[in-house]
Amino acid sequence: MSVESTAATRQLLPTATARQTWAALRVEFVRLPGLSATAGTLLVAASATGLVAPWVLGRLVDDVIAGSDTPRIVAWAGVIAGAAVLAGVLTAIGAALTARLGETVLARLRERVLDRALHLPSATLERAGTGDLVARAGDDVAVVTNVIATSGPAFLGALLSIVLTATGLFALDWRLGLAGLAAAPAYAMALSWYLRRSVPYYARERVATGERAQVMAGALRGAATVRAYRTEDAHVGRIAHRSAAARDLSLEIFSLHMRLGLRMNRSEFVGLAAVLLVGFLLVRDDLATVGAATTAALYFHRLFNPIGLLLFQSDSVLQAGASLARLVGVTSLPGAASPDGCGPATPRRPGAAEPGGPGPATLEVVVDRHRYDDGPVVLRDVTLTLAPGERVALVGASGAGKSTLAGIAAGIIAPTRGAVSLRGVPLADLDEHRVRREIALISQEVHVFAGTLGDDLRLANPDATDAELTAALDLVGVTNWLRALPDGLDTRVGEGGRHLTAAQAQQLALARLVLADPAVAVLDEATAEAGSAGARDLDRAATAATEGRTTLIVAHRLSQAATADRIVVMEHGRVVEHGTHGQLLESGGGYSRLWRSWSTPGPVLAKGRDSEEPAAAPRRPLGVSPG
Amino acid sequence: MAAEKTSGGTVLRRALRRQRARVVAGTVLLCTHQAAEALVPVAIAVIIDRAVATGDVGALLLSLAGLAVLFTVLAFAYRTGARLAYAALEQEAHLLRVEIARSALDPRGNRSGMRDGELLSVTASDAELSALVVRVAGLGAAALTAIVVAAVALLVVDVPLGLGVLVGVPLVVVALQRMAPLLSRRSAAQQEALAATTSLAVDLVSGLRVLRGIGAQGHAARRYAAASRHALDVTLRAATTKGLHLGLTTTVNGLLLAAVAGVAGWLAIQGRLTIGELVAVVGLAQFIAEPVQTLGYCVQLSAMARASAGRVARVLGAEPLTRSGSAAAPHPAPSRLALDTIGYAGLDGLCLRVGAGEVLGVLAHDPSEADALVALLSGRVPREDYRGTLYVDGVPAEGLHIDAVRGILLVEQHDVALFEGTLRANLAAGADADEAVLRAAVRAAAAEDVLAAHPHGIDRLLTERGANLSGGQRQRVGLARALAADPPVLVLHNPTTAVDAVTEALLAEGLASARAAAARGTVLITNSPALLRVTHRVVVIDRGRVVAEGPHEQLLAGDGRYRDEVLR
Repeated sequence: MSVESTAATRQLLPTATARQTWAALRVEFVRLPGLSATAGTLLVAASATGLVAPWVLGRLVDDVIAGSDTPRIVAWAGVIAGAAVLAGVLTAIGAALTARLGETVLARLRERVLDRALHLPSATLERAGTGDLVARAGDDVAVVTNVIATSGPAFLGALLSIVLTATGLFALDWRLGLAGLAAAPAYAMALSWYLRRSVPYYARERVATGERAQVMAGALRGAATVRAYRTEDAHVGRIAHRSAAARDLSLEIFSLHMRLGLRMNRSEFVGLAAVLLVGFLLVRDDLATVGAATTAALYFHRLFNPIGLLLFQSDSVLQAGASLARLVGVTSLPGAASPDGCGPATPRRPGAAEPGGPGPATLEVVVDRHRYDDGPVVLRDVTLTLAPGERVALVGASGAGKSTLAGIAAGIIAPTRGAVSLRGVPLADLDEHRVRREIALISQEVHVFAGTLGDDLRLANPDATDAELTAALDLVGVTNWLRALPDGLDTRVGEGGRHLTAAQAQQLALARLVLADPAVAVLDEATAEAGSAGARDLDRAATAATEGRTTLIVAHRLSQAATADRIVVMEHGRVVEHGTHGQLLESGGGYSRLWRSWSTPGPVLAKGRDSEEPAAAPRRPLGVSPG
Repeated sequence: MAAEKTSGGTVLRRALRRQRARVVAGTVLLCTHQAAEALVPVAIAVIIDRAVATGDVGALLLSLAGLAVLFTVLAFAYRTGARLAYAALEQEAHLLRVEIARSALDPRGNRSGMRDGELLSVTASDAELSALVVRVAGLGAAALTAIVVAAVALLVVDVPLGLGVLVGVPLVVVALQRMAPLLSRRSAAQQEALAATTSLAVDLVSGLRVLRGIGAQGHAARRYAAASRHALDVTLRAATTKGLHLGLTTTVNGLLLAAVAGVAGWLAIQGRLTIGELVAVVGLAQFIAEPVQTLGYCVQLSAMARASAGRVARVLGAEPLTRSGSAAAPHPAPSRLALDTIGYAGLDGLCLRVGAGEVLGVLAHDPSEADALVALLSGRVPREDYRGTLYVDGVPAEGLHIDAVRGILLVEQHDVALFEGTLRANLAAGADADEAVLRAAVRAAAAEDVLAAHPHGIDRLLTERGANLSGGQRQRVGLARALAADPPVLVLHNPTTAVDAVTEALLAEGLASARAAAARGTVLITNSPALLRVTHRVVVIDRGRVVAEGPHEQLLAGDGRYRDEVLR
């Protein structure tokens, strides 16, 4: 993900305001009223029982001073023990219920985020790219999940402990309560000092760690190239540089923690000294017992840990809040336009007429003009009509506008001026999900989904049987390869699984096309990345997979073009030639020159360059050289 | 480093040795801090005993001043000690990362047998985890100190009670630890399920365009929802166990407190303890659980550090894949590159010669034989693994210094690797190339669209692995890079598989003229007719050896199998 694309997508995907985020959360909790109330009550009760022990200890001190007897001591010990058992039970049930509440709400949220992200309208996706979406569906969900699963319960517990202990101090004696509160401003200042500095630091640390991993990954994956160009030192130098930058940042953040720790210790001292001092004065003036003073000191001492936790976790909770706002932002996007769009694609053979439904599909593409934003015009005056079941090949140099035309024909890109119609109906009038199931596009982007081979294929048709999957794979010619797999359809592929070659990944894409079974197929360089050996097989696979479908194919190899029903040659955004292979050869244009240079011996390539013509260079017999 | 036998233990010992100064100073300060922490409950007790209970203002002021000193020592000892320990950890992790990178990128290769993903995780997490050993040293010593201080304080107050606490607390901690395996199993399952959902989300969204291409977004969303529900179930199971553990801990600690308070209270009414001692014993009994738990944590940490150090050692201690000779680069010979009866993988008695000034085409009917040839020429094959001889400028390659070989012979891989950075830096590939040279190379590779399409031209930024270029653009930038490097011998492997036919024809012409200089040798391992056309001579490899050779046109006209292979 490049910096520029990230910056662009940030503007395109919404982020919720604090108010919207709270509102969205409230709605979720209200949907689980019983659970919310029970979990809340249990948490408060569990925290409150924790106050019993220090109070009893204070009373014990008083009784000892008053010279009590053994049964009373035993009774007090019994109260502490009883409170311990009660607190344990309440804590166990409370923690489990709180987790159930928080995790359920979170699971619903993340599912909605993914659903919205996956159904992002094409126009937005083309402009925004997938970078920010990936970050939200991955990182942001992980950040929130992590906080809810790990620091969340502790944070909540600490917060409750602090509130209840403060209440306990006041219940003991309002003056002792005030003494305890004397530490609050010191704590608050420490916290605000810390948050002002830490949050931007964490963002920077994440970037630095990411960059370190990136430069390392790049060098390792390209190790053969690093060695070939003798650039090991330069790469190790870059790795060392970024590693050092990440290290320094970590040290700065740690130092920030330590300075917060110092401020916290100072606040602890202020509070503890104030409580002891007030306790001293109250006991001296007979306004409180030694036991009450002891309880107050013990109350305050037991706050050290929860307050520390609260302060140190505050930034991760803030970050989770920011991530949450970004997630709620995604959920505010429009969802799947029609519920039907979510349903399984009904298997449909082109040719099998359904009432009002699809049959053989005519595709009409008319582009008067197309440009990206304010960029130059990339397509001009292109009119293309594909008869049902017809296969048309696009030929042209890089930058001629083939991919743009393919995107427009597939309904992914809306032409600046022009229209695409399927069976005479403009795509603009059709629901996007309907369009996507009728017109499949295999673009240059090849992706093997992580999981088993069967899982990958079933994305195209979840109800397909193993036999159907195997049949689709057979059709695109992967039978031998499939047999060689240790676990057949259950073999793990994609990230973390078996590595597929570019050709295999493309065969897989074609098999998905077969399973999705659309009426129209647009193939954009779908067979281009193959190594030389697999190219012919891939051509055959593409032909088999698109058999009977109306097909527009961006041809890289001329053999692909030659077998198409019709060929359209493009140059600088215009159609310069079109016709059948035979017609184009006869017309003697650029296509026929290209074809001959490619398929026949002899220097027939147009000599448009000033450079020495290499094909005409004098041939030397084997091994003899001018020296 | 690689010379001596490296084990996990070596890595850990060396870490401690390298960070000795920081570790020793940090440990002393952390011990001081823990001792001070242990004394806080004692201080509270003393203040209540000597000041609050007596009403003595002098004692109050004195004890508050003492408390201030205690907090100051505690805070500064922690701040400085923890910082030193953390700096030791980070510095050690950094050093390990750089060492691993250097070892993994050794020009002679690395025999660790790890794949890229593994190596990455070794640099990312294992370097850090191995460095934890310095943290264990500080934490462990500090926790022991705290226990000793608390123990002394308890025994001074009352020997039987002190002994009871000192035996009871560790027993309770150990007993609660018995739930630890279940807890960590459950939370490992939780982490795993959550990580799986996250990576599923990332995977699906990364492939969103592919999903959209076949209208499969709805199916994908449902698959994610199912994974998310599964993760929820696993998480709830883990949360229930955690809740149970938390409840048990609360109860057991409370019961322990009740017992200590009861016994101490009873001793107090017997007159054997003062009020202050009573408060101190109760406070210490609560405090001591923490350092005991820390010790348990240290045991876990050191197990993790040892495991990670073992993996780090596998990389650092790995032998290089190949050996380098020592001879300097020879003078250019008429035969710049020659293979004499090579036997390796599918190759069986392969003989090849590339003359100065020659562009040689190589067509292998079996692509795996082309791969074997590329691996051999790239220097990835140890000498003992192949038969025959590889000559560079007439000298056996194994006798030459690796830098001499690499200075003459450059292999650009089929799967072009570009690096994050500017296009210019990628084209120059570490050399101080003139801009005119780079631009000429870009023109020859027919890659001008890569510059032209972008406002920053040659200074545009490429993302990791050149992901913001199309496959065809990446191949052409790789080709331009190779041409700009202008090596005496250049080997290209299927350099145009992602390039369309029109551009390929332009590029073939540019490539041949760029390599036309008299002393240069060029090998094109390909079956693209556009490229084979511009070669002087083509050799055809089948079953590991040369089966035919001659000019492209001649082979095309006379060899049916050649014709089929080339005009696919």
